[in-house]
Amino acid sequence: MSGAVSPLEQMVVVLARDLADGELGAAGAAALVPMAAIMLAREMHAPNLTIGGEMFFNPRPGRLFASMLDDRALGRCEAAETFIELFGHSHHGLDFFFHSGLQHDAFGNINLHHVGGTLHAPGMRGPGAANLSYCHTSTRFYICPTHHSARNFVEKVDFITIPGHLSGPEAKRAAGLVREGPRLVVTPRAVLDFDPVTLRMRLKSVHAGHGAAEVQRHTGFDLAITGEVPQTAPPTDAELRILRERIDTTGALRA
Amino acid sequence: MDGHMTPGRRSKVTGLEQAAILARDALQERPELCLGGLFKQGRPVALVRALLAAGGRGLHLYSSPGAGYDVDLMIAAGAVAEVFIPGVTLENRLCPNFRSAVESGQVTAHALDALTVVGGLMAAAHGVPFQPIDALRGSDVLRHNPLLREIDCPFTGRRIHAVGPIRPRVTFLHAQEADRWGNLRHLSTMVYADQLMARASDLVIASVDRIVPDDVILDDPTRVSVPSHYVDAVVEVPFGAHPTASFPHYAMDEEHIDAYADLGDAARAGDGGGLAAYIARHVTGPKGQDDYLAAIGGAARLARLEAQARAR
Repeated sequence: MSGAVSPLEQMVVVLARDLADGELGAAGAAALVPMAAIMLAREMHAPNLTIGGEMFFNPRPGRLFASMLDDRALGRCEAAETFIELFGHSHHGLDFFFHSGLQHDAFGNINLHHVGGTLHAPGMRGPGAANLSYCHTSTRFYICPTHHSARNFVEKVDFITIPGHLSGPEAKRAAGLVREGPRLVVTPRAVLDFDPVTLRMRLKSVHAGHGAAEVQRHTGFDLAITGEVPQTAPPTDAELRILRERIDTTGALRA
Repeated sequence: MDGHMTPGRRSKVTGLEQAAILARDALQERPELCLGGLFKQGRPVALVRALLAAGGRGLHLYSSPGAGYDVDLMIAAGAVAEVFIPGVTLENRLCPNFRSAVESGQVTAHALDALTVVGGLMAAAHGVPFQPIDALRGSDVLRHNPLLREIDCPFTGRRIHAVGPIRPRVTFLHAQEADRWGNLRHLSTMVYADQLMARASDLVIASVDRIVPDDVILDDPTRVSVPSHYVDAVVEVPFGAHPTASFPHYAMDEEHIDAYADLGDAARAGDGGGLAAYIARHVTGPKGQDDYLAAIGGAARLARLEAQARAR
């Protein structure tokens, strides 16, 4: 394949590999990377993966869109639903979902409401979020912001819009969060996961061209890095070819 | 003949200005206004502009769980007191006037979630005193959400949530087609929460891209998305959703929305001249939809949006 792998392409392949055949899931609000990952998984190993839970089933977009809430992005889809059915999906849950926010913290909690101040006297008011249920009614979810800095990766979020692991296993249990919650955090620099005992975020691998010290410098909390951090497995030739030729036909992931 | 005159069925077709006055007066009794569509699709923006021109004030805004441009515009025009919409964003960027107004305390933006809004509309539509919700945990939104109560489930004894009926005084919808009696047809892929809102609201006013003959409805009743029983008035407004999309007829005008957002950002930074001129040019200035369409670039621009809607 010609051309270097872009950070977003690397994110897409990491996420795609974690989606299984036969699962039901949806892309969430910031759909560019998640939708590419879902479509790549379907092309590579998960032909029976169903896209559903956001008012449409199995769309076939001719290119990638920033939002799937756009009839052009749905292209031709197999069926449409409404917010009435979304109410049911929210209770029944999906297999996977994707989230990102203004702030992400050491326990995978996500803030979309305000930075600084209070909810009704905010320093900076964010957009809020519609679906607060898939993060815990679904089997698991992924955090995949397209920036990774000490400003959006903070020790503690100012407001928990989307609960991750709260402050750890005890708080999670007390709140009734019984599913896995956030599994992976995939950013343009690295892949992070959560310590199974403490549920704190830790560095799992760094993408080609990035280093552990750099990732730590751009993260606002201690990643407890000890020893050598492995490199994220880069896209295979087949993954990259399918991604560029069949899914990202306009190069949105390389823009 | 016996002298009997068959009574005529009343058409629900009205004009944009009359519809806006009807809405404004109803909202003076109770300020809850609900908007159909979702983000940049199927939003009744011509009705919103007409209401702003007619002097709507102090509004409490509801919508399907995601809104952007029209809510921001209503805030910029000074018409909004409270926002009950979970997500307010232009998707590719934040809503500038929403941000400014909430940060300065001029507008109260409640922390809500989709299930509270949809559940509240369901309770009102179904005529029941509340809708149970059992899928909200761990979010700080639960500590602030003004519409939610905790209850014991009468069957399992578990603590769950309940939301009371959300009954908007007025709902504005946009559909692609209607007959003169107000039977709506959404030809777009998604119908959002429009059907629920129509059933939940006191007064429902719909704009449509075109009024179609009665036979179009009668030939395919399964295609009617909102029966006329739920609709009080219908207005034919070509490109009535602009700058949002009305698929399959025309796509969202992202350039227009971005240019608007740039003016909002400038206003945030202290230069409100451009935003004021925008409102004068698009909201208070035009005498009607034809004037508005000329102001946004006329036939050439509209043809481009139509072409984009076809290019799928």
